[in-house]
Amino acid sequence: MVVYSFYIFDRHAECIYKRRWLPRPASMVGSKSSRPTSEASAPGLPATLGQSARTTDDDAKLIFGTVFSLRNMARKLGGEDDNFVTYRTSQYKLHYYETPTNIKFVMLTDLKSPSMRVALQQIYINLYVEYVVKNPLSPAEHPGGIGVNNELFEESLEQFVTRVLS
Amino acid sequence: MTQPARHAAMLSISNGGPNAVAVDKQQSQHIHTQSQSSQGLRVPSNRKTIYDRHLNRSRSAELSRASFAFLFAEMVTYAQRRVTGIQDLERRLNEQGYPLGLRLLDLLYYRTMASSTSSSLSSSSTSAAPPNRPLRILPLLHLIHGPLWRLLFNRPADALEHSVSPETPNEYMITDNDPLVNTYISVPKEMSMLNCAAFVAGIIEGVCDGCGFEAKVTAHNQPTEMWPGRTIFLLRFGESVMEREKVLERAGVK
Amino acid sequence: MAVFSLIIINKAGGLVYQREFQPGLRKLSTNDYLVLAGTFHGVHAITRSITPKLPLVATTTNPPIAPTTATTPTPNVTSPSSTSTPTPSSSSSTYTYPNPGIPATGLECLETDKFRLTCFQTLTGTKFLLFTEPTMVNIDVVMKKIYELYADFVMKNPFYQLEMPVRCESFDRNLQGWLRGRT
Repeated sequence: MVVYSFYIFDRHAECIYKRRWLPRPASMVGSKSSRPTSEASAPGLPATLGQSARTTDDDAKLIFGTVFSLRNMARKLGGEDDNFVTYRTSQYKLHYYETPTNIKFVMLTDLKSPSMRVALQQIYINLYVEYVVKNPLSPAEHPGGIGVNNELFEESLEQFVTRVLS
Repeated sequence: MTQPARHAAMLSISNGGPNAVAVDKQQSQHIHTQSQSSQGLRVPSNRKTIYDRHLNRSRSAELSRASFAFLFAEMVTYAQRRVTGIQDLERRLNEQGYPLGLRLLDLLYYRTMASSTSSSLSSSSTSAAPPNRPLRILPLLHLIHGPLWRLLFNRPADALEHSVSPETPNEYMITDNDPLVNTYISVPKEMSMLNCAAFVAGIIEGVCDGCGFEAKVTAHNQPTEMWPGRTIFLLRFGESVMEREKVLERAGVK
Repeated sequence: MAVFSLIIINKAGGLVYQREFQPGLRKLSTNDYLVLAGTFHGVHAITRSITPKLPLVATTTNPPIAPTTATTPTPNVTSPSSTSTPTPSSSSSTYTYPNPGIPATGLECLETDKFRLTCFQTLTGTKFLLFTEPTMVNIDVVMKKIYELYADFVMKNPFYQLEMPVRCESFDRNLQGWLRGRT
């Protein structure tokens, strides 16, 4: 299975972390540093993969709008305790997990992937809580992604996605 | 070349198959018309236009139900323009069906003749075939209930009744449990009295008139649990018809 | 094997049909259903637009895909950093969708803990939303039949005005009868 992208939204509906794993065209490999670039610290960093930073920002907003609407729809129809889990189109699958503290984890994968609910939960418990929440240098809130884009979290997320999920 | 075929036909006569003769005659006639139509008319390369086909051959031909449904839907929409009310709409649908009934009658006669008399067309004029034209009400109703319904809908109607009320001896009812024309039609609630089978009522009226029975035919909803689309066609024969009926009864005509 | 309800949304995003077959979902007011239909219509379009776009270099081994997947309106937008880091000459690179053979659609199937929502969009733009149990199988068959009944009893009805709410008693009757016959 293939993971395309991963997003974290905080309780203020702000995207505090986003990361994309798109296969790069062969010609571009090597022109950048070997370390995978995270777009979480977006302001200064150049966007990867030839897509402008503007569109990835918009993508995050669109994704938030989508999952927010669908989550509300699920609750309206299924009751307050219902949870929106996943949806798929002809091209991709979107997985959704919401913590009790209202942090939303979203992952886009290919159609072959199984349910990612447990994986998202593990990312929350084993990575986010461990390396972001427990980090004394990290602020309580993460405006603009401050505190989430630390090396430990990014490295372990990278490992989790490339080793555990594929 | 024709010798063996004729011989086969002779054989089948002796074997008691009158149908076989009819088939043979039909075939020969078919070939005949084909050779005639070859000049003057623009015909497809295989020389078979719809006019070259024998009338009886299209009897069992299939027709797309969907195309009929769409056509009829447009007819209803057309009739709905500038109508003053439900009765007016039903009248228009009735008027659309009426000429159809008049014209259909000839085909109906032709086909019932062809199937009821054993002889083929050429001999039917000379032989003493029973008259097919209904002279009294009951044979007419049977003609509608059976052959007409089979011609239009490929099955007989579901019931035929006479009014029980002594005040209206001129009223007869033909029931169709699920009229083909109404299959896909849902009438809006505010027009619940409307029945689009008024079109079929018009056809019946045309057939009656064509037979010389002046009548008014209307379609009425009478849904049951099992048949939500059940429709009653009410036939009201005119005064003159009823008087003639009495005369014919005294004269012993059936 | 419970089918909870069916919603039909016209191509403009308006609710034209809503019917419950089996209890299981909460009932909403008519207004809420209208809002839901409109929201879903928008979300459906967005889910299509956020389809991941995989970069594709035209000069690599798979050029035959390139012309067919040219549906992406955005050609290669060079990154802001391209001034400092020289981008390779393959500026003709474009994007491809994960499944290049299939056109990108919007949301087709949504799952929650309580229900599964299957969305079928006809080629004419009408959307059928079927709410079922999450474990329900063979939804395709149900959806196909619903579309067939719609084509028969709604589209062939002379009293139905296109894009307007569906009030066709024979559609209701046949739909309900068929669903009852399945369970």
